[in-house]
Amino acid sequence: MFKPFLTAHCVRCHGPEKQSGDFRVDDLTGDPAKDADRLLAIREQIRAGLMPPGRETRPDPADVRAIIAWTTVRTGGLAGRQPGQGNLIPHELLFGKPAPTAAATPGRLWRLSPDGYLGFLSDLGKNKALPGIVQPFTLEPERGIKDFAGLYTIDEPSTEILLRNAELIVEGQTARQNGVREFVVLMDPASPPTRAQLEAAVAQQFKMALGRTPGADDVTRFLGLYERCLKVSDSPGAVKTMLQAVLLRTDAMFRSELGKGTDAGGRRLLAPDELAAALSLALGDRREAGIMLAAQKGELATREQAAVHVRRLLDDPKFDKTRILKFFREYFDYANALTVFKDKPKTFVHEPRQLVADTDRLVLHIVAADKDVFRQLLTTEVSFVNYAVGKNKQTNQDEGKPGVVLNPNNNKGQQGIEETYGLDRWPAEQPAKLPDNSRLGILMQPSWLVAYSTNFDNDPVRRGRWVRDRLLGGSVPELPIGVAAQVPNDPHRTFRERLTVTRDARCWKCHSKMDELGLPFEQFDHFGRFRTTETVLDLEATEKNVDKKGKSLGPVTREAVLNTAGTIADSGDAKLDGPVKDPRAMIRKLADSERCRQVFVRHAFRFYLGRNETLADAKTLQDADRAYVESGGSFKALLVSLLTSDAFLYRSVPVASTTTTPGGSR
Amino acid sequence: MNVALTRRDILKNVAFGAGASFFTPLLGQLAAHAAGQAPRQRVVFVVQSNGMSPRHLMPSGVERPKSGKMSNDRLEEVTLKDRELHAALEPLTPFKDRLALVQGLSGRIALSDHSANLGALGCYPANKGALAQTIDVALGEANPGIIPHVGLGILERPEQTLNYQISAAGPGKVAPIQCSPELAFKSLFGSVTGGASRQAFDRRTNLLDFMAEDVKRAQAAVAGEEKQKLDSYLEAFEALRDRQAKIDAIQNDLRKNAPKLDDKFKKPTECNRLEAQFEIAAAALITGLTNVVTLSSGGGGQQYIAFPELGIPVGGHHYGHGGGVPGKTYEDCFVTVRQFHCKMIAKLAQTLATVKEGDGTLLDNTLIVYLSDSGDGHHPQLHEWPVVLLGNLGGKLKTAGRYLQFPAYGSKNHRTMANFYCTLLHAVGKPRDKFGVNDPGLKDLDQTGVVAELLA
Repeated sequence: MFKPFLTAHCVRCHGPEKQSGDFRVDDLTGDPAKDADRLLAIREQIRAGLMPPGRETRPDPADVRAIIAWTTVRTGGLAGRQPGQGNLIPHELLFGKPAPTAAATPGRLWRLSPDGYLGFLSDLGKNKALPGIVQPFTLEPERGIKDFAGLYTIDEPSTEILLRNAELIVEGQTARQNGVREFVVLMDPASPPTRAQLEAAVAQQFKMALGRTPGADDVTRFLGLYERCLKVSDSPGAVKTMLQAVLLRTDAMFRSELGKGTDAGGRRLLAPDELAAALSLALGDRREAGIMLAAQKGELATREQAAVHVRRLLDDPKFDKTRILKFFREYFDYANALTVFKDKPKTFVHEPRQLVADTDRLVLHIVAADKDVFRQLLTTEVSFVNYAVGKNKQTNQDEGKPGVVLNPNNNKGQQGIEETYGLDRWPAEQPAKLPDNSRLGILMQPSWLVAYSTNFDNDPVRRGRWVRDRLLGGSVPELPIGVAAQVPNDPHRTFRERLTVTRDARCWKCHSKMDELGLPFEQFDHFGRFRTTETVLDLEATEKNVDKKGKSLGPVTREAVLNTAGTIADSGDAKLDGPVKDPRAMIRKLADSERCRQVFVRHAFRFYLGRNETLADAKTLQDADRAYVESGGSFKALLVSLLTSDAFLYRSVPVASTTTTPGGSR
Repeated sequence: MNVALTRRDILKNVAFGAGASFFTPLLGQLAAHAAGQAPRQRVVFVVQSNGMSPRHLMPSGVERPKSGKMSNDRLEEVTLKDRELHAALEPLTPFKDRLALVQGLSGRIALSDHSANLGALGCYPANKGALAQTIDVALGEANPGIIPHVGLGILERPEQTLNYQISAAGPGKVAPIQCSPELAFKSLFGSVTGGASRQAFDRRTNLLDFMAEDVKRAQAAVAGEEKQKLDSYLEAFEALRDRQAKIDAIQNDLRKNAPKLDDKFKKPTECNRLEAQFEIAAAALITGLTNVVTLSSGGGGQQYIAFPELGIPVGGHHYGHGGGVPGKTYEDCFVTVRQFHCKMIAKLAQTLATVKEGDGTLLDNTLIVYLSDSGDGHHPQLHEWPVVLLGNLGGKLKTAGRYLQFPAYGSKNHRTMANFYCTLLHAVGKPRDKFGVNDPGLKDLDQTGVVAELLA
């Protein structure tokens, strides 16, 4: 089936005679390992409808579906490595039919995230970072889910920072004031430490940096380093170097998830210490004492035991679950409102920081209620509005108060942030009900709308792309190199009118997947304010607006009719496809969709597993979706399912050598 | 870097320094020349806080509108020959025929109050952290010495030992400016001083060996991509370990050229600290420890230095806002402080000019770039970013006594600091035509390419 398809549709331009784009398909080897790159490229081109090009005969849609499925299976369900490539696995192949078995995750080392490194410093007792300590790590700047295990390592500049940080940390640990007792006693050059003291120091540093006791082999090696240093240095110096080395260990800087636990038919359970760290860092930025203790006591060896701890952590208000809000921030990307620069508006206040804080609060509010979370996030009619919490000086109680307050002495008739939400005063009851038929859910929060806007305009293309990627599970190829994308700057036309440049056949192949999903959000201006008309330049009136000498008196605007219609097309779910009259109708439709909910589950999988799903993960995804549905839309239930899934608990690639202690991490 | 420099260390160092002649041509460099290789190019950035008034660059006979706002749409050039430098730059007079005083390059993308921070050498927004590598580190990477980039500087208080607001090694990776001359000395020359510093050097060697071994052990337990992931961490330790070996291999040169630990190091006044850092920079360049040094005097945020020895016991914020001190107007303060920095630069140039290299001297292969992290003033506009260039980088740049006023911001031939940094990368043989982030205020201008008028 594959060969005839290629012969019919591809070989003429990508064969022996011609190799358009330096690409040929006639000499595929039949060995999937060798062909993988080309098969993935073929799949992507066909799936995106880019090939065969428009002037050629269209292939039969059934053939297209078959080719996509065949190439996906043939490549072993290889997904792209980048976070943005997760959707390359067609949704139907993951959720189309019940999957039999759940797959494990390959053994891996996952470099600490920047926040994970701060957590590491906290675990060392450096809550307030020492002066001079700087962040060694970064994440990809692209939008979306960022921290994938496969993406990051440590290079030379980072290593230099780590070395300096280790030096500073140990300086603090060995200082007479506020130092670590086991270390401070070793700082007298006149009385060299005993072996027992050194062993205690290594053990203490292991406990603080790695949360576990060192093996006998580790102790010997670290004492060996001490001995070598002692040949060239005084004993306090040698002790310090030894202590620094512990902080630089591979298993301190990388989360070790090799699967060193019990063998279960070709795959291995994460060892208790690996699992304890993995669960702690899935939800927060530092190791959680209770779960580390459970690991030490051997009480973290089964799926059920893991589930007990996940539930406990989810319910424990003292454990800071930073990675829950972080997931929603990366899924929705509304915090990018902070990076979109806008001229200061004259008639109202634009303070993106407050808008993002309001949405953070709304997300946490919905997650705390834990009912029908996905639908609520998309369709809630309430919002926090310019909300902050402060102490009431009289009652000494925390209470809600306006976040940004205008200075009455300095205010020239500016509207406060409330106006952006469509309210004329700050509501004391929060979250507050917003005006009827204005906005719903996160995608109509001012923060999200600003995050998906440009300096001067709305950005319906990227808004539509968000809906395509993160709700419909589709994908749009990157902007072709050499295309200078530019919406004409015609201030007398509405943005929708200006955007018609993308209707050109060459552009529309990709833009048809985005624009119509983004245009309903024209309901709002680029500061996220609800509107019923769009202000444009009135050319005629401007031309006439002159003084007696014919000198211009400035531009005149007019209110143009606002069109908020859009279309859902090619969604993969025929029930969804069709026109929508405004953003609220569109979002309601999507929020009710099984497909969109499952795509949300796929994104949660990527965030918490640190990788893209493959075909083999179908069961894990289906189980997580089922857990969510059967619990009435509980995000906690979804998390328990993901964090106790085979993909989370098991590692498929066995440790290469069991005789060497990997990274000495036992 | 643990215990304070002991008296014994200092005495030892004085002994080393005293016996050595400071200006010895290095065998390695002679050999390179004999082998027909191009001599190494050196670049020094001198970054001073509190802005640099365009008027300080104007030699006698050059005028600009009272408003200070330029509107020329073509390059205006005059020769410095037969003209006097402004009093602020007067100490550079002996090097007039090696100077290019550059006006009119803009850097609005980095606009911020009081300092462009990493944006000064990076050409990107001032307050978003390390968005990309800065030009000094890029040049160091293009043309690496044993240590590709050395950052030295001073901050207001001696106990502030690191400034992370000038240089960056890459996105998210700030690079340090070592602001304690004592610690800088130890880390660069500690291997030849004996005592605690040599101990620290040897311990570091041991640590790097141990870590390389430790990463290898971790690697033995994994396969495939995970193994490769650790390669990078392993290579980092090995490269740093290799640096130790290279430093050990030039012990004689280091001994001969290490700065003397004299009063400048013992009395950490502002002037002394800055002078000490300039001496360390000279020695690091002469020995080949590095080819690129960034010297910062304050800089980043509102980090200003008071110079009581110069009669200015207040920080730059005071005279930046028009405040004088007894006997001096605010402008006098600016001039006095700039004169001192120019004196340091002149002395550095003088030192490099005494080191033979090929048919000329080390200075012939050097470029000193003097600018402020705050561009054209205490409250900068950055429509122009005054830059003083000394040296021509082995004949790659045209800097022989020129005063250059580039086309004004907004005119069609306008050039930016990004273009200037591209020019430097071209001059060291690693050409790049785009640097940093474009200025959105110049969206109709092609912001790529070099400043052609500066390239030889």
